[in-house]
Amino acid sequence: MTASIGRLTTPASIFNRLHAWLTDLAPPLACMPLEFQQLVLWLIPAAPLAAAVVISLLGPKLLRERSHWPCWLALAVSTACALVLLTNIMPQSFEGGDSATGVVAVGYPWISIGEMQVRIDLRADAMSTLMLSMVTSVSLLVSVFSAGYMHGDRGYARFFAAFSLFVFSMAMLVLSGNYMQLFIFWELVGLCSYLLIGFWFQKPSAAAAAKKAFVVNRIGDMGLILGIFLIWTTFGSLDFASVLFSPETLSQAATAHPGRITTICFLLLAGAMGKSAQFPLHVWLPDAMEGPTPVSALIHAATMVTAGVYLVARSTPLFALAPDAQLFVTGIGAATALLAALIALTQMDLKRVLAYSTVSQLGFMFMALGVGAAGAELATAGATAGMFHLFTHGFFKALLFLAAGSVMHAMGDVIDMRHFSGLRRSLPITHWTFLCGAAALAGVPLLAGFWSKDEILAVLHEAGRHERVGGFFTAIYWIAAATAFLTAFYAFRAYFMTFWGPQRFPPEAGHHPHDAPPAMAWPLRLLAVAALFVGLAAAATHWFARYLAHTPGMAHEGEHAFHIDLMVASGVIAVAGIALAWFMYVRRPGLAASLSQAGRRLYDLSYRKFYFDELFLAALVLPLRAFAWLCYMADVHVIDRLVDAAGAAPRVASRLPRLLHTGLVSNYALMMWAGVLAYLGFLLGLIG
Amino acid sequence: MIGDSASFLAVGAALFILGGIGFVTRRNLILIFLSAELMLHGVSLTLLTFGRVHRNLEGQAFTIFILTVAACEAALGLSLILALYQHSKSLDVDLWSKLREADLPAPLLALDAGEPPLETAPSPAPLPRLAPAGLPPIIDDDFPAELAATVDARTIITPSPPDDGEYR
Amino acid sequence: MTLTAAQGTMLASVATSAVGMWLALSPRAMRLRIIGAAIASAALVVAVTALDGPRGALDDQILFWLFAGSALVSSVFMVTSREPVYAALWFALATLGACGLFMLLSAPFLAAATVIVYAGAIIVTFLFVIMLAQQTGYTFYDQRARTPAAAIVASWLLLGALLWSYQQWQNEPVNVAAGPALTADANPNPFSQPDSEATAHSMRALGRSLFGDYLYAVEIAGTLLLVAAIGAIAIAPRRAEGTI
Repeated sequence: MTASIGRLTTPASIFNRLHAWLTDLAPPLACMPLEFQQLVLWLIPAAPLAAAVVISLLGPKLLRERSHWPCWLALAVSTACALVLLTNIMPQSFEGGDSATGVVAVGYPWISIGEMQVRIDLRADAMSTLMLSMVTSVSLLVSVFSAGYMHGDRGYARFFAAFSLFVFSMAMLVLSGNYMQLFIFWELVGLCSYLLIGFWFQKPSAAAAAKKAFVVNRIGDMGLILGIFLIWTTFGSLDFASVLFSPETLSQAATAHPGRITTICFLLLAGAMGKSAQFPLHVWLPDAMEGPTPVSALIHAATMVTAGVYLVARSTPLFALAPDAQLFVTGIGAATALLAALIALTQMDLKRVLAYSTVSQLGFMFMALGVGAAGAELATAGATAGMFHLFTHGFFKALLFLAAGSVMHAMGDVIDMRHFSGLRRSLPITHWTFLCGAAALAGVPLLAGFWSKDEILAVLHEAGRHERVGGFFTAIYWIAAATAFLTAFYAFRAYFMTFWGPQRFPPEAGHHPHDAPPAMAWPLRLLAVAALFVGLAAAATHWFARYLAHTPGMAHEGEHAFHIDLMVASGVIAVAGIALAWFMYVRRPGLAASLSQAGRRLYDLSYRKFYFDELFLAALVLPLRAFAWLCYMADVHVIDRLVDAAGAAPRVASRLPRLLHTGLVSNYALMMWAGVLAYLGFLLGLIG
Repeated sequence: MIGDSASFLAVGAALFILGGIGFVTRRNLILIFLSAELMLHGVSLTLLTFGRVHRNLEGQAFTIFILTVAACEAALGLSLILALYQHSKSLDVDLWSKLREADLPAPLLALDAGEPPLETAPSPAPLPRLAPAGLPPIIDDDFPAELAATVDARTIITPSPPDDGEYR
Repeated sequence: MTLTAAQGTMLASVATSAVGMWLALSPRAMRLRIIGAAIASAALVVAVTALDGPRGALDDQILFWLFAGSALVSSVFMVTSREPVYAALWFALATLGACGLFMLLSAPFLAAATVIVYAGAIIVTFLFVIMLAQQTGYTFYDQRARTPAAAIVASWLLLGALLWSYQQWQNEPVNVAAGPALTADANPNPFSQPDSEATAHSMRALGRSLFGDYLYAVEIAGTLLLVAAIGAIAIAPRRAEGTI
């Protein structure tokens, strides 16, 4: 990525200062013995697992309203360990840069069939450590928030048990050293997601949403496991080390089985699309908002849904050999981003706006992951941009969801934005933190979302220069820009509709809605700080990219550059979107209504989510129901009849012998006589 | 060659057969029991004869065990008969035919014309259910009122009564 | 197949006794039933005569026929009697006859023991029970035999088969190989083999056999008696309950 329109090298001073500070801190940690490293690594998943076990065993009877303590403690341990790990496997010098380090805690062999060896290993390298630090810190903050939010719920202990189990599964997923283990914990996070979406299982809608999430994910997961099987038949191994990180094996496999790598990538992508809610499998994520809001914040915004992005980024060496799959990744990402942004424009449910925003941002990440199609040297940059957006998005989207949860908490569980407005005076903390999150999402310059979105736009723009697929990527670039505009608009539409305008409360809120209690306020404040500064800290110093470049299997890229013109352009886009939202919802409040009346058909299309649910119902659910009805009928009228016949046969056969059961001792004795007679006949050779 | 022992064997066989006839045809519990003892006599006689044929003492030893078992059987059998009699006030074995298939109209091979119809066991009083060992019976609504009034329930040791078809 | 005279006698008398038994068990007049019982018992005795009787001193032969006859006659009357008390007394007489046969078989201890146990103890107990339980006299269920024809056919087939085979064995060695291998490799009990003919049937020899070869069995049988006694006490209803 040497050629660029205009470039600005990093202010070396900032970076050098940061580096000096880190090296002051790092040596004692970096010199830690291997055993300590491994202990730290084990503790990251083990602590939440222990918490899950303790809470589920003791919670309902003993801990009750104190059930959050084991969870808090375990997540604090995990976060601390993840941060220690972050400093620990950081390369000794940012300047040297080519020593790709990772920590592997030796696990144990789990399956050993013939030549197949599957191990349960904990393996940390730059990418997984970065992701882990985001996952654990966000989970810690969300768990603190949940203690306030879920207070008084009947399933308080159950919530924290499932929550801890989820963090365990997610940590294990990120720390997986092979595809098999990854798949197991991929399913386990899916299970936790199911448990938490259906947390209020008494509500039919929550139960249905949980079921829908589970079933839709199965579609993708089938692709994933088929891809894993194919990796096994192609490479003879499932280890990342032997599949991804050795270029010789990869090139051998690519020449030995032409087209096989592309198939593998498409199959893995199917799994990633299911988990990361990409079109057309995105339908489960908005419904998943039926779960408690902290769950939406953690699982369905910050962590689990990004597992698909992680999978694709992790498999970058494979995808680099499959340009067709990468084009598909980008195309799907763009379609999803635009579609979800369009739907988010008209949603009235605050959490649904955020859910579609999540889908849209995941689409952004996918767009970035596919740019390798325009040249292998761009693959690393694309993966970096995608992972960076994942990283920043985790913080500000969790913040937005938690703030929405705080609104819900104050409004008595009402989340429809038409029922309240002008909350900025009564909920000041929520207001300011939501504003920070919305600004970060919209991409206001210098905030988290700005940097990461800008990097995505930059790599897309760069890919547009490719001679063969350049046109495709240029189109994607414009779609991304348009989506960024829409993002800014709907983020601030939600903000203005909720916090501006005349002050109105729904009757459920009571007389005087109260702002977030401390347990909820402090996570919001901390996340707001992260949303404001994490992008600046990680991107302006190029710290993130340099760190990530030490991931095994990632080609090293050259000197990184900023595109001033692109940054200005995206800043303008963001501000324009915000301004439009302000104009439509604050300046001229009636304008939105009249516009929706004018474009009734388009409005409905967006409001009804492009009729995807109806489409799926007609195309998939109803035929399947009909088939199930057929099977049911076959079961009742054919199979049951056969079973009944099998049961009736002894009844018919026993009609005569039954008559012997007279219940009279004498008759039984007479039958014994007959038996003796028969035996005597046998002895004398008369019978038999 | 059993020689002149054959007549002893024949008498043993005849005793056995006669006991069997009695066992099958009699309806009095006690006579059924006696018939079984008669069969044992036949067996004992046969065993002794064979012991003499083989010129050893095993037949005699065996017969002693038969005697022992017969004595045990008589003791237990008579107490059981008393317990059954206590419930039905009758020694008719036909009253105890709960094993019969429920929907069979009547004992199939049993009835000749002119016999008085088979009557079900008259149950003079509902019996207390058998309490677990070592515990006094629970005196509740099902416990016969007259028993509860006159008898110290803790001294009662009641054999398990045959149920009257009322499964609870 | 031609029958010898002895075989013919035996089969004919067995058939006759079956007919007599059927008469005795059928619901007929008292006299006819007694005649039937007499026919049955006489025919049974005749059937026994068809086999070789005991050879030896005359008094032995007389005693055998006395005891065998009394055992058979009283057994038939016991089975056919309509009164339980009479049946029990007939059973006592049959027991005495059987004990006489035990004596003839050189088993004096067993004869004595059987008399003591049965005639002395069991019969008395039976009579007690009958007296206690059946104070009303005739009962309908004693008046009628159940399924006499089927029982007689089955039993007399068995009897005929047994007597027929005894008659065969009398004159020819038992073909062990023809039947199932019952005594394939049995180790004879050493204490049960008498030293000489003279001591063969003494009580001393029996004691040696019982407490030598069958010591454990004796102990177990003793335990069984104890358990049965306790069980009988536990099962038997109390007078306090107003049972009898």
